[in-house]
Amino acid sequence: MTAVELKNVRFAYKEGLTVLDGVDFFAEYGKITLLSGMSGEGKSTLLSLIAGIIPNMVEGELHGEVTVAGASVKEMKTAQICRRVGCVLQNAELQIVFDVTEDEVAFGCENLAMPEPVMERRVAAACAMMELDPRSKTRTLSGGQKQRLITAATLAMGQKIIVLDEPLANLDKEGTHTLMTALGKLAARGYCVIISEHRLDMVMAYADEVWNIARGKVTRVCDRRAYFAAQAEAIVNTCPAPEQSAPLLSLRGVEKSFGKRLVLKGIDLDVFAGERLLILGQNGCGKTTLMRVLARLEKADRGEIRQFIDKKAGRRAGKRWFAQVGVVYQNPNYQLFMPTVRREIEFGAQSREYAREIIEMFDLRELENRHPQSLSEGQKRRVSIAAVVASRPKLLLLDEPTVGQDLAGLQRLTSVLTEIHRRDNNTMITVTHDMRPAQALCDRAVFMEAGKIERTGGREDVKKYFEAFAPPEER
Amino acid sequence: MTDLLHAKRPVYPLFGFAAALIVFACGLAAAKHFETIWYLCGVWAWFLLFGYYRSCLALLPAAAALCALFAGVTYAASQSVEEVWTAVRRCLAVCLAVLPGISLPAVKFTRALSRLKVPRAVTLGMMIVLSFAPLLGREIKRIREAMRTRGAGSLLSPKVLYRALLVPFAARLVNISDTLALSVETRGFCTGKVPYTVYHPVKAGVRDVIFLLGLVAGSVTLMVFCFI
Repeated sequence: MTAVELKNVRFAYKEGLTVLDGVDFFAEYGKITLLSGMSGEGKSTLLSLIAGIIPNMVEGELHGEVTVAGASVKEMKTAQICRRVGCVLQNAELQIVFDVTEDEVAFGCENLAMPEPVMERRVAAACAMMELDPRSKTRTLSGGQKQRLITAATLAMGQKIIVLDEPLANLDKEGTHTLMTALGKLAARGYCVIISEHRLDMVMAYADEVWNIARGKVTRVCDRRAYFAAQAEAIVNTCPAPEQSAPLLSLRGVEKSFGKRLVLKGIDLDVFAGERLLILGQNGCGKTTLMRVLARLEKADRGEIRQFIDKKAGRRAGKRWFAQVGVVYQNPNYQLFMPTVRREIEFGAQSREYAREIIEMFDLRELENRHPQSLSEGQKRRVSIAAVVASRPKLLLLDEPTVGQDLAGLQRLTSVLTEIHRRDNNTMITVTHDMRPAQALCDRAVFMEAGKIERTGGREDVKKYFEAFAPPEER
Repeated sequence: MTDLLHAKRPVYPLFGFAAALIVFACGLAAAKHFETIWYLCGVWAWFLLFGYYRSCLALLPAAAALCALFAGVTYAASQSVEEVWTAVRRCLAVCLAVLPGISLPAVKFTRALSRLKVPRAVTLGMMIVLSFAPLLGREIKRIREAMRTRGAGSLLSPKVLYRALLVPFAARLVNISDTLALSVETRGFCTGKVPYTVYHPVKAGVRDVIFLLGLVAGSVTLMVFCFI
C-alpha cells in the first residue's frame, strides 16, 4: 500500500535554484525505501517535501502533487503533517534540548498530547530499540549515540511513515547495524521507512527499494548490484610510488583519553616525508583524534611524538607550526572567514600569483567574488582545501576532504591534490570513508580499530577493505 | 551551570524559588544582627537535610572566597570590624539564595511552569537558552582552533577578531538555530493553543510543604528576634 507519492513534482528554492524537476516517486508501507544520490542533488529537499518542511517552513515554488498517508501536504500545516510523518534530520547534536535522554525522547510525545502512561511505554520502547539508557545524560553521549537519540525521539512519536536524512553519518558499523535492524523491524510491522544515504556500502543490504536522484529526476533502481558497482567506481591512482625517505613524524606509545574513554591506545606510527598516508577505520575508532594529535590540536596524554618538519617549531602549536602544517577540517564552515573566495585563498597564499593559480586549479574562477559562507557545502569544502593548500604546507592533513563532491568534482579534486603533491613533494595524511578516491590518495594505508593501529598496507589492501562492505544479494 | 550540582530529589521548584527569595530578603534585612549567622547556618543545614548536599558542599569554598573578598573590600573602605561581619553575612545570604537554583535541573522548573499553564514557547525557550550555553562554548572553541590553523590566531587585531571569529560564529549560530527550529517543529511543537501533556509532571508533596514551612518558621523567628 502506498504511503508517500509524488507526481510530477517540481520545486525551486526562493533563490531560483531548481532542485526537483518533474519527479515521480512512491514509497510503500512495510518497506525500507532508500533514496540515493550525490550530495546536492536534492535528497534532503525531497525528504523535506514529504515531512512538510517544504513549503511550510522553507520557501520556494512548488508544483505537482505530494501525497502523504492519503492526503496532500499542500493542505496541511507542519503540525498536522508531523502527526503522520516522523522526521529525523541531519546534525543530531544541534537538535538536543534536554539534559536527560528520556526527557528528549518524550518531547515529541508531549507535543502530541499523549497520556503519561502511553508516553512512559513509548519512551522505554524507543530507548530499548535504539539501545540507549533512558537515564543517561545527553551531553555525555557519543556522536553515534546522539544520532540514535534523535532517531528514538522520532520513533517514540509513533508515526507510521518515518523519513531519515543521512542517519548513518555518525554511526560506526555496529551503530549502523543497530539502527538499520530496528528500522527493518518497523518495516516488518508495516511502517514506511524512507532513508536518504550516500553510504551505500552500509545501507544497501537493508533496503527493499532503491531510488536514485540525479539532475532533478528520481528513478527507481532495478539492478541494484550494477548500481552499487557504478556508484562505487574507484578513481585510478596517477602518482608514482614515493622514494624511500626519512620520517617526518614519529609516534611511540601515544595515548589519548576523553574523560574515562581511552580513544587512542598506544599508537606507534612513522609518517615518511613525501608519502600519502591514508587512515581508514570505522566511526569512533580514533581516526580524527589521531589526526588532531598529529596536527597538535590535541595533546597526547602519554607517549612520544617527534617531528622533523621544522626544528624551530618546537612543541608549540603556534603560527610557525601551522605555516608548515595545513589542516583541512571535516566541517569547512569553521575555516572560512574572508569576504570573498579570492581573498580567502590569498589570505594564506605565498603570493597573489600563486593564489590565482590555485583558484584556476580548483576551478573556482566563477566563484571567486562570492562570499565563502554563501556557497554550497561541497563548494565550501573545495574553497577550504584550496585556501589551506595555497600556503604550501609541508604536511597536509585532510579530514574527509571529499564530502559533498559529485563524481566529476571528486575526480577533479583528487587530481588537483595529486598534482600539488607531485609538484611540492608534500606529505599528505587523509582520513576518508569514501571508497572512490581512497586508492588514488594513498601510497600507504593505516587500518585502525578501537583506538589501535591494527595493520598497515597498500592500495590493494584499501581495495579489499572497501570490498568487504559490498552488500549481500538480499537482506 | 553544571548538572553535577543537581540534587537527586530537589524540592518543588516554585517552593525552592520562594525559599531563595525568603533567604535573600531575610538575610539582607537582618545582616546587621549577629544572630543572623545562626539563621544562615540553620538554612544551610536545612538544605543539607533535604538532600542538597552536593551544592551545599560545593558552595563552601565559593562562599569562603566571596566572603574574604567582600570582607577585605569592606574593611578597606570602613576600617570597621562590625561592617566586615555584616558584609560576610550578606554574602552568605546571597550564596544560600543561589543554592536552590543551582541544584535544580532546568527541566523540573519548566515542567512546574508548564503545569501552571505558562506558555510553552516560554518554557521551551528557557530550556533552549540553558542548553545553548555549553553548545556555544564548544563552537567558540572550535572556531578559535580553526583560526589558529589558518594563521589567524591573534585576537588583538579587531579585523581578525571580526573576520575570523565573529563571521564564522554568526554563520554557525544561524545554522544551529535553523536546525533546532526545524527539529522542534517536526517533533510536533507549536506555539498556538494546542493541547499538550507533560512527561513526569512535577507536583508539590508533603516533603516540599515541610521544607517550606520549616524555612518560613526559621525566617519568622529571625525577624521577631531581630526587629521586635
